[in-house]
Amino acid sequence: MSTDSRVPVTVLTGFLGSGKTTLLNRILTEEHGKRIAVIENEYGEVGIDDALVLDAQEEIFEMNNGCICCTVRGDLIRILGALMRRRDRFDRIVIETTGLADPAPVAQTFFVDDEIRSQLRLDAIVTLVDARHILTHLDEIKPDGVENEALEQVAFADRIVLNKSDLVSDAETCAVRARLRAVNALAEIIPAQYAKVDLDRLLDVGAFQLDRVLETDPQFLTQTDHQHDQTVTSVGIDTPGEVDPGRLNAWLGELLSTRGTDIFRSKGILALAGDDRQYVFQGVHMLFDGDEGRLWRDGEDRRNRLVFIGRNLHRAALTAGFEACLVAS
Amino acid sequence: MTAVEHDAATAGWRTDLDDAPIAIAVAGSRIAVAGAAGEAVLLDAGTGATVATAVVDGGLLDVAASPDGRHLALTGPAGYALWDTGTGQLRRFDTGAWSAHARWAGADRVAVSVGRRAAVHDCIGEHLWATGECRSTITDLAWQSDGRYLAVTAYGGVYRYARYSGDAVGSYAYPGSHLALAVAPTGRWMCTGNQDRSVHIWRTRDGGELEMPGYSEKVSRLAFDPTGAWLANDGAPDITVWDFTGKGPRGRSPRLLRSHDTITALAWRPGGGALLTSGGSEGAVCGWNVNRGVPGRPTRPIWRHDLGAPVTALAWLDRDTLVAATRHGQVLRIATGPARSD
Repeated sequence: MSTDSRVPVTVLTGFLGSGKTTLLNRILTEEHGKRIAVIENEYGEVGIDDALVLDAQEEIFEMNNGCICCTVRGDLIRILGALMRRRDRFDRIVIETTGLADPAPVAQTFFVDDEIRSQLRLDAIVTLVDARHILTHLDEIKPDGVENEALEQVAFADRIVLNKSDLVSDAETCAVRARLRAVNALAEIIPAQYAKVDLDRLLDVGAFQLDRVLETDPQFLTQTDHQHDQTVTSVGIDTPGEVDPGRLNAWLGELLSTRGTDIFRSKGILALAGDDRQYVFQGVHMLFDGDEGRLWRDGEDRRNRLVFIGRNLHRAALTAGFEACLVAS
Repeated sequence: MTAVEHDAATAGWRTDLDDAPIAIAVAGSRIAVAGAAGEAVLLDAGTGATVATAVVDGGLLDVAASPDGRHLALTGPAGYALWDTGTGQLRRFDTGAWSAHARWAGADRVAVSVGRRAAVHDCIGEHLWATGECRSTITDLAWQSDGRYLAVTAYGGVYRYARYSGDAVGSYAYPGSHLALAVAPTGRWMCTGNQDRSVHIWRTRDGGELEMPGYSEKVSRLAFDPTGAWLANDGAPDITVWDFTGKGPRGRSPRLLRSHDTITALAWRPGGGALLTSGGSEGAVCGWNVNRGVPGRPTRPIWRHDLGAPVTALAWLDRDTLVAATRHGQVLRIATGPARSD
């Protein structure tokens, strides 16, 4: 169990019609004994009673450090700040974003704002997809400079609820799962009808906690993907060896500063040379959080496992870059 | 429901409210307390007894009293209200927009932030004029030069408007998200606290700029003392106090006031004397004599009260009496006494 006493925050994303409001209503009405605050956009699909409402116009701004990735949501900072000043503490907070929202500024807000970070923790990004329509959304060709929001929402997700799965055939479900998995190899995919999901799989799952990084089965790391794909994919690296911390810092720093725009999420568990504890890290674009994890167990294979999810990822270059950080055996 | 007790430790009274107070304004012989969930309470300053209450749907963020103490502006996440404490009339403006603060210019004019605009009303709530849209929701506002100009801050800097016409009369641009605004009583300086962990300073005469970066947290509270000689701000565990006498803070080390875990409130004693009070998340209210501090070296408070719960707001009733509020609903009148501050 985590000793983190901060209030967990779940970010709910998904295209219009994917079932976000149905899921939200289930979260609010199910018997779980938790006090949940819901923050939704003004033009949500269906209004939730007593929800706190974000301005219709998202306020996304860049921090002044010149890093274009470090955009945060000013509206979210304000409303979470006001929520934290109330007398009654909430057990959980759920933020419903619009179908067109970019998840990055939402996630980055939890890395950048100290007041929020001290009291709240981003627990997981949950993305609902409509099994019938998600492939069309993912494959939609956008004009230059326009993001494919559906693709980004899948790429950023820690949990993907494959909703309306009863409306597609088994073969179609397989195709959808394969496509989702190709984009995001890390997220757990949960099939659902009418957004009926065991809430324990969505809420307070600790997806952004360092001690739970790569907790799920890392089989995906061995899968092959395109060498240089123009779209959004996951690249996993799984290799034994001892990592030189200096070289790692230099490589990751360079990688995230030059490719941070394209790297949406990164996670990893590493074996640092001379350290009997695991080093765990995760990042959103250029923002990065890392710390010592648990002790390596006696006889445990000290392997390094990293995952990058992003656009135009080059597996060979990433692998070579990381392997150059290893101490020569 | 409220309960009032005499508090021997603070030589004053203590009132317990249901709501979590987030702001206090002194309105003549009364004290207005804004609650986070939307309840505003008017207390008798002498006894702590509740005189009147009002509720603003959607919660509250701040309360501002007119100089004569008769009118209150209550601002919140979903709108604002003007409360005539003489007649009890509450005029609501359910705009659905974020109203962070209101500021009075004399007893007959109040500016309220309403989302990306600011609206100016007379004291009975008649709308006089509104600013154009800023680049983001307005985070703070202040009247400048004896109320001749309204200054508002939002993403990208500070924007000024003429008092009577509402015409835009120049801006002080600087990129970034500005969270709080302080205008020196002398009119010489304008300062913002920023999300990117800095204080930005403009010399109003010629627009000369000064940036104070390097804070460990965003700067969301900053306040000039009544003489304009000192600016206190948060942004770090230590309160930073900048010397604005003479040519200003350029090249000068600030005073560092060390006592709190996280700074949650700042209030200068009225009438000068360089006495600052502060509140912290650990529940302490501290008094500081800034004149005693040594630039660049941490200073300890001259007095400290432990209120037992995170302090959320402070306001001076007069030169010897402070009012403090805590997250747990307590409002306390504290006698600081001349001897304790000099």
